[in-house]
Amino acid sequence: MDSKTPLENLYNIEPALSSSSRRNNLSANSKSLGGNSIREVNFSDLGPKPVKYGSRGAESEIYSMSQREINDEDARLIQINDPVKTNERFEFAGNSIRTAKYSILTFVPRNLFEQFHRVAYIYFLVIAVLNQLPQLAVFGRFASILPLAFVLLVTAVKDAYEDYRRHRADKIENNRLASVLVNHEFQQKKWKDIQVGEIIKIHANETIPCDMVLLSTCDPTGVAYVQTINLDGESNLKTRYAKQETLLKIPEKESVSGLIKCEKPNRNIYGFQANMEVDGKRVSLGPSNIILRGCELKNTTWAVGVVVYAGRETKAMLNNSGAPSKRSRLETHMNLEIIFLSVFLTALCTVVSVCAAVWLRRHRDELDYLPFYRRKDFSEEEEENYNYYGWGLEIVFTFLMSVIVFQIMIPISLYISMELVRVGQAYFMIRDTQMYDEPSNSRFQCRALNINEDLGQIKYIFSDKTGTLTENKMEFQCASIGGVDYNGGKVSSQDQKDGYFVQVDGKVLRPKMVVKTDPELLQFARSGKETKEGSHIHDFFLALAACNTIVPLIVDTPDPTLKLIDYQGESPDEQALVYAAAAYGFMLIERTSGHIVIDIQGERQRFNVLGLHEFDSDRKRMSVILGLPNKSVKVFVKGADTTMFSVIDRSLNTSIIRATEAHLHSYSSIGLRTLVIGMRELSTSEFEEWHSAFEVASTALMGRARLLRKVANSIERNICILGASGIEDKLQQGVPEAIESLRTAGIKVWVLTGDKQETAISIGYSSKLLTNKMTQIIVNNNSKESCRKSLEDAIIMSKKLTTMSGTTNDTGRTLGASLTPVALIIDGTSLVYILDCELEEMLFELACNCSVVLCCRVAPLQKAGIVALVKKRTSDMTLAIGDGANDVSMIQMADVGVGISGQEGRQAVMASDFAMGQFRFLVTLLLVHGHWNYQRMGYMILYNFYRNAVFVLVLFWYVLFTCFTLSTAINEWSSVLYSVIYTSVPTIVVGILDKDLNRQTLLKYPRLYGAGHREECYNKRLFWITMIDTVWQSAVVFFIPLLAYWGSTIDASSIGDLWTLAVVILVNLHLAMDVNRWNWLTHATIWGSIIATFICVIIIDAIPSLVGYWAIFEIAQTGLFWLCLLAIIITALIPRFVVKVLYQFYTPCDVQIAREAEKFQARSESGAVEVEMNLILDHPRQ
Amino acid sequence: MDANGATTSSAAGGGSSSKSSAKKNSRKPKYSRFTQQELPACKPVLTPGLVIATFTIIGIVFIPLGLVSLSASEHVVEIVDRYDDSCVPPNYSNDKLKFIQAADTNKSCVRILPVPKLMKKPIYIYYQLDNYYQNHRRYVKSRSDKQLRSKSGEKDISDCTPEDKTKDGPIVPCGLVAWSLFNDTYGFSLDSKMIKVNKHNIAWKSDKDHKFGDDVYPKNFQTGGLIGGAKLNSSLPLSEQEDLMVWMRTAALPTFRKLYGKIEEDLPANKKIQVVIQNNYNTYSFGGKKKLVLSTTSWMGGKNDFLGIAYIIVGGLCLFLAVFFILLYVIKPRPLGDPSYLSWNKSPSGQPN
Repeated sequence: MDSKTPLENLYNIEPALSSSSRRNNLSANSKSLGGNSIREVNFSDLGPKPVKYGSRGAESEIYSMSQREINDEDARLIQINDPVKTNERFEFAGNSIRTAKYSILTFVPRNLFEQFHRVAYIYFLVIAVLNQLPQLAVFGRFASILPLAFVLLVTAVKDAYEDYRRHRADKIENNRLASVLVNHEFQQKKWKDIQVGEIIKIHANETIPCDMVLLSTCDPTGVAYVQTINLDGESNLKTRYAKQETLLKIPEKESVSGLIKCEKPNRNIYGFQANMEVDGKRVSLGPSNIILRGCELKNTTWAVGVVVYAGRETKAMLNNSGAPSKRSRLETHMNLEIIFLSVFLTALCTVVSVCAAVWLRRHRDELDYLPFYRRKDFSEEEEENYNYYGWGLEIVFTFLMSVIVFQIMIPISLYISMELVRVGQAYFMIRDTQMYDEPSNSRFQCRALNINEDLGQIKYIFSDKTGTLTENKMEFQCASIGGVDYNGGKVSSQDQKDGYFVQVDGKVLRPKMVVKTDPELLQFARSGKETKEGSHIHDFFLALAACNTIVPLIVDTPDPTLKLIDYQGESPDEQALVYAAAAYGFMLIERTSGHIVIDIQGERQRFNVLGLHEFDSDRKRMSVILGLPNKSVKVFVKGADTTMFSVIDRSLNTSIIRATEAHLHSYSSIGLRTLVIGMRELSTSEFEEWHSAFEVASTALMGRARLLRKVANSIERNICILGASGIEDKLQQGVPEAIESLRTAGIKVWVLTGDKQETAISIGYSSKLLTNKMTQIIVNNNSKESCRKSLEDAIIMSKKLTTMSGTTNDTGRTLGASLTPVALIIDGTSLVYILDCELEEMLFELACNCSVVLCCRVAPLQKAGIVALVKKRTSDMTLAIGDGANDVSMIQMADVGVGISGQEGRQAVMASDFAMGQFRFLVTLLLVHGHWNYQRMGYMILYNFYRNAVFVLVLFWYVLFTCFTLSTAINEWSSVLYSVIYTSVPTIVVGILDKDLNRQTLLKYPRLYGAGHREECYNKRLFWITMIDTVWQSAVVFFIPLLAYWGSTIDASSIGDLWTLAVVILVNLHLAMDVNRWNWLTHATIWGSIIATFICVIIIDAIPSLVGYWAIFEIAQTGLFWLCLLAIIITALIPRFVVKVLYQFYTPCDVQIAREAEKFQARSESGAVEVEMNLILDHPRQ
Repeated sequence: MDANGATTSSAAGGGSSSKSSAKKNSRKPKYSRFTQQELPACKPVLTPGLVIATFTIIGIVFIPLGLVSLSASEHVVEIVDRYDDSCVPPNYSNDKLKFIQAADTNKSCVRILPVPKLMKKPIYIYYQLDNYYQNHRRYVKSRSDKQLRSKSGEKDISDCTPEDKTKDGPIVPCGLVAWSLFNDTYGFSLDSKMIKVNKHNIAWKSDKDHKFGDDVYPKNFQTGGLIGGAKLNSSLPLSEQEDLMVWMRTAALPTFRKLYGKIEEDLPANKKIQVVIQNNYNTYSFGGKKKLVLSTTSWMGGKNDFLGIAYIIVGGLCLFLAVFFILLYVIKPRPLGDPSYLSWNKSPSGQPN
């Protein structure tokens, strides 16, 4: 592929950051753009490599940083070792951090302010305020603000607790100690007291307290290794450098001074731009000169640096943003229904006020003397109207009062309930042992708390490949050396199990990872380089061991005689190659800035590293120039096949090249990642020429990157091929099964990968995404027109294939009732032409016909583009899952973003809504938790609508019998407590704990997931049915007592108590009727709520200053009361029960059948039925 | 140090990640039936048996209950006499309001009530008002429960306007409810022999003991410009003014009865009772009806057939539904949990692949 594809333009990241921003930049590019067979080989960040050449070698990494001045306005000036001066003009943030939002003083106002951002609360507040007007005072003052106060309090307590935890963490963090230079002496100082400009000394394994520019380290070349696991989750070591100019200064002895001019704090953890004036010289600083807060110093005894950003201005803190907020589908639907409810509320209020208006008009002459109205006040000297503001205003007041009385028609409590339910659901998802990943010790993480139920309706899954479907743990599988394929995997002898080791001073040194070796190749490797094969193999493994940026670490083991070598590097591919080389006897022992030590078959050899050309996305290869012990100089190159074959001297070893090409093809077709390795011996003149060019280039001030690339290109030519390696990126455990389950569940799985087509297809087969039954449609074009044509053809073909039934297809096979599934394979280049133009529509149409879509060689933004393509055109839910920085855009674009917390850092996790350790957990997450959450939430919303509406309607009916004056028989306290105490807990508990089906059933029959696709638990129809039921139930609740007590001595408080209890028992029993699974908590809350209601009513009626004093005791003594209660509950529930029974019996949904099967098959324990079920299930899949 | 702000459990690592990594403690969630959502639970499924049994049981319980209530209601003997029209002399029949408002008119009126059946003691005397909105918002709010309870609350009259105070001070009991106290009186005689009407214990005991204070005496009551109803004996504390207590228990519905007293003797059948009514209370201004009711009582309360009928209807309906479902299950059975009913087994074309 041409390296200057337009794709690159899509991915527009400043090259300035490239050298140490592998995740961010290069890997993304390499993954997405690499048009050669080393797909996704992440050897991109070869890291700034100090080369013996030139003391400024370390600067090379800033080659790409333009030397442009930082504007004075945008700059931040730091006087080294002079915090007073540094801070006198600018108030730089201190190093104390505050992740906590509130302090004790600000908690109340700030928390209230934040809470009132929700419209729902404003509604509540407006109503409470309206109620305070004397003309409108329906409820007592206290009673009217109670619900709002309660809701605010619950949220505030939750916030306060979270904040308390943050306070505690902050305190621990702020009180950690660091050595700070004070008066030429390093003293222990608390982190919070560290100021910008101070010099700090960090010792090995200490955490870095703030962002600092390195001044010097224990290493004479100024190298320091840091682990950034807290920052981006990458566990490997990264190299950082001190500048030569400051390297030799010892702050304790001489006073170091200087001025650092750096950019304003920003959140780019891979970028840093500054320059430093020291001793009159001006040096530029780049991202590799800064060590960031939260990183740990490793493998370096000490490092000294000057603080440039502290506290909240550090990059770590700036990156500390919360999860993105998305809104769930259910909630969006719900808002429509809420609007309807508002209309309904307005209608009720209008009815009341119109009726009131008519009544007032008809009785206008009587009002003055009406004993129950008495408009005239005679107590004063002159008669005046009392509490009457004219006909028009009275109507307005009536309307407003009815809004106050009927306010809970809009179920405000629902929002809080939903929040609590989601927290509960998240608790169970996090604690699910089946979503715990043992190897990475990571639990499931719920980062977004408002889209739990969306997990039950996912229709499209967009998955990354590397690290998501695969483990991203590279394993060296086979090599083609000198045209011979060594693909190992034969007998593994005892010898091989232990792997290669060397003995040093009686101590055994062994690589940490054992690599499977090919005995034949091992034999050759040991035989030395006398034979031709031997020398080829020698050079090949030397190249593997040398041409990389791996840092070997010697790790102690409990056994004192045994030490392990751990190869630390940023690219898993490189690690695999170095481990492989070690296994074949080429063990990298030591790497310093100028040389490497390799133990070759027991013999230690030292190689001078004369120069190193890093990987870049244009060349897609790297090279290292080694000075061999025999004084010869060789350049070793490794890279992706396409770019390598262009620099390989084709005239040499034609047969080897041809054989290697064939091997490469076969490797990539079995899904291996391939690299081509080559070598060339340099003559002295050639070396001298390169050397001077390299030195010029690496010290150039302008256009350093371009110059270095040019130098690299000049040396990387006429390469003699050594061979190729095949690295396997193993599929994660359970991926094929997971994909199969998801597809059976009716979810379309799209794989978006940066891999090349062959690799992608082979992974597709091994992950069961593609099957032999499928017809593959491949779209792979280089222009818009050809794309259009192939899309048109493909659509016709896919239509033919998918609409054909019961006939034969082209191949003449009888298909029966089943259809030929179609798989679409499309590559990134074609997507460039298709996305963002009219062809999108065609692609979408085509993709909809296909059961599998595989996109290869896609750039990160294209991934997002594909997600957007689907999201724009359907209302179906999309889920994106990925692990790397290149998946971030896609994760954020999709309705649900899932991050795999794997090998590739934490960026995907940080951007995701949910994070987990393994791809296969997706099955549990969607089919089990998603299904449950959706079902629970859907039911809960409907129930809450019903619950509040039933109460409001009971109030409404009564209003019709009180001259439309909005007096309520139900005690005002009961109306307030209704949604707070009487009925709130059961719905939350059921929303968290109810399970329509158990886990095993859901996993066994993935198609049950279709319930979410069909919106079975929450839809318009259900809403209307519920509303009709609500009207019926409220009518029963109201009219049975009304008729039973008509013309009796019943007083308002007593009948109000009856209505209260009837409604509460009714709605709780309504819930009880729909509960699928009764555990002790459900029992406790439902019956407990009813009992709590009785207790509350009794307490309210035991207060003598209230009108209803003792009413409940009086009425409960009569048989009529209990008869009414029984009649109400049974009569109200009968229609619902009958409809439910009929529906379940005659049009049972899948969930219903599965539930019955779950219950009865477990009991009958009949294997026969089980077998039959399987047969039937398997049938359609054949 | 990203951890502090993060909301998830990863925050636990917090500032001390070095510590946590040193410990290497597994974060594997602890297994418990609760956290794995596997609490022992009962899974009710609506089986045909269960459904039929439910309906049958409801039917079997409801129909007898309905019959019992109906018979209880039937056994109640009730005499209802509407007297608001009849008790206005013919010469005032066109201007009833004038009649009732005039201070000098003779308001007494004699009614003869036949006793249809033997009425066993105690016989309750009620007055029934129709179209009288004792539940009107302005009305129910216009009272002061504090004032009724104790002397110290005498000044608590803020809700009582317009009947809150006179020139002489606060009205006790204040408010429209008390002001409009019903003031018709009834005298009963059978065969020219006075029947004793017991007006004790007609209010709730709780009202007498706690709600209406024994140190609260009526003050300035019905002294304003407009007389709403009965006057109170200002030498008796409120806790002994049972008519007031009954009246102050505001009725829930616009048609209501209030207990006037009890007759503690049997009334033989086919006799005629003579009632002398002092027709004082003004319902003429708004077309309200006044009725005198004599009624025996049952465990169900007064005469009301509704609930009995409702029970019988619901019970009958349930029995019918039980039969309906039996037939349904016989005619068109569906084995429970039969996988062949699953949607993807029913329609082979419906498969997603």
